[in-house]
Amino acid sequence: MFRHTTFRYLVLAILGAGALFQAFSAGYFGLEVLIEILILAILVLALDMVAGFGGMVSLCHGALMGLGAYAYAMLSSIVGLPPLAALVGAMAIVGALAWIIGAICARSHGIYFIMATLAFGQMAYSYIFQTPIFGGDDGMGGITRPDLSAIGIDLNDSRSFALFCLAGLVLAYLAAVAVLRSGLGRSLCGIHHSEERMRALGLTVWRVKADIFGLSGLITGFAGALAAMHVMYISPGLLDWTVSGEALVVVILGGLGTLVGPLVGAVAFVILKHELSAVTPYWHLVVGVVLIVVVLSRANGIFGWLEARIGARRIFPTHAAVKKVPNDA
Amino acid sequence: MLELANVNSGYGETQVLHGMSFTARQGRVLAILGRNGAGKSTTLKTVMGLLPTQKGSILLDGMSMATTPHAIANSGIAYVPETRDIFPSLSVRENLELTARRFSGDWTLDRVLALFPRLGERLDNGGTQLSGGEQQMLAIARALLMNPRLLILDEPTEGLAPIIVQLIHDKLQELKDAGLSMILVEQNFGFATSLADDVVVVGKGQIVWEGSANEIRADDAIQHRWLGV
Repeated sequence: MFRHTTFRYLVLAILGAGALFQAFSAGYFGLEVLIEILILAILVLALDMVAGFGGMVSLCHGALMGLGAYAYAMLSSIVGLPPLAALVGAMAIVGALAWIIGAICARSHGIYFIMATLAFGQMAYSYIFQTPIFGGDDGMGGITRPDLSAIGIDLNDSRSFALFCLAGLVLAYLAAVAVLRSGLGRSLCGIHHSEERMRALGLTVWRVKADIFGLSGLITGFAGALAAMHVMYISPGLLDWTVSGEALVVVILGGLGTLVGPLVGAVAFVILKHELSAVTPYWHLVVGVVLIVVVLSRANGIFGWLEARIGARRIFPTHAAVKKVPNDA
Repeated sequence: MLELANVNSGYGETQVLHGMSFTARQGRVLAILGRNGAGKSTTLKTVMGLLPTQKGSILLDGMSMATTPHAIANSGIAYVPETRDIFPSLSVRENLELTARRFSGDWTLDRVLALFPRLGERLDNGGTQLSGGEQQMLAIARALLMNPRLLILDEPTEGLAPIIVQLIHDKLQELKDAGLSMILVEQNFGFATSLADDVVVVGKGQIVWEGSANEIRADDAIQHRWLGV
């Protein structure tokens, strides 16, 4: 189950301070990079909930994010809902779809689960690509950002939008922590350890998996809506399975099942991408090498490696573990 | 209370139980004894729906029992497996709350902590920080929080120090005195027969002897033939 430690708080504080410094000091390009990191961080946070804590390695989270973007665009541009209502609506739609996908895939495991989620993702991609109302290959433009002028915030300004995304990431993180620390999160933890045992304890395993997948979808839909607001244009490429694959790479790069690790992974991945792509068009190769080194080092990603060495993981209180006991029980 | 009639079961194509039949009665403790590989744990897993019943029937209070593990658990049967299956990333409190929040009845968190005070000292510790005895206490406590009508225990003393075996015995005796029905699979002959009212001996996947605990304690021939005691 997820627990905060001093080291995790420290890393979160460093990441938060870095994001704020970047938001207030960077120029236009720096802010665009920051927004990209923040939106990717929300996506990988949602993916880590299911993959890291539930063992449900999903290859449809990219498609869910894309659906969030399209749902936001449709609700705000075609239906005419106010952007904030469209944002909530997009989250609800993606959350509901993710719940259904989770419920259907819950009985499969390992490679079969991955393939089933990939199939759902590709179905969503094909549907969006081939349905004229979504603009087909041309995508959809003219997407607006929420109007917060009533409280003196202009989200069309990159700095304000970056801070809006940062606030969104904080909320998404707090929501993920709340879910993982709830009874539902504990049940998920038990299921990840032993589905059979949890069934014998009277738990409806598929329902827990579906609920967590739905909540993860809710957060993914939020990332999708922010992605649509960010570029103000969306295309079916957002739903491509490679987006899911990239998100999975970021989670593994940062540290699976740590919630903080994927945030570190998002920062490392986007910075690597931008820095390396300026030097070589083969930046994917370098990211691939980094990923292979991380995987072969058997550390749990960059954050896991740091936590094992610097953080000296103290998930449970050690003083109680050595408390004097009257016999050798 | 629980009746198995001509039950066949096993792992995939390997059949382990061959017409297993016995009855566990309300308010009594039934011990299932037998040598390694006789089919004792397979019997419990079949009762809990963790292995499919290939043939025969399992009745609970005269009615056909549910076949899925969660439905069986919700019908009032709690199972403490040989492996204990303590969730290592959850604390003791969280392991207990996993069942406490879904079942209601006489067994509450306070009551199980009164039965196992040691767990009260370990509430914030993780599952991996517990000794074998503490893990067994936690596994039993977690099962009790399901407020079961029937408690099934698979090898509750395996790997435990003698002083802890005595402690577990005393706690199970308390549960028996309180009227809880139990089925116990156990290699420790003395432990099992001092706790049980009824005994069945399993050999090659079927019942080869049944009677009272007093009878088997007095019958050296049966002990030697089927248990190697």
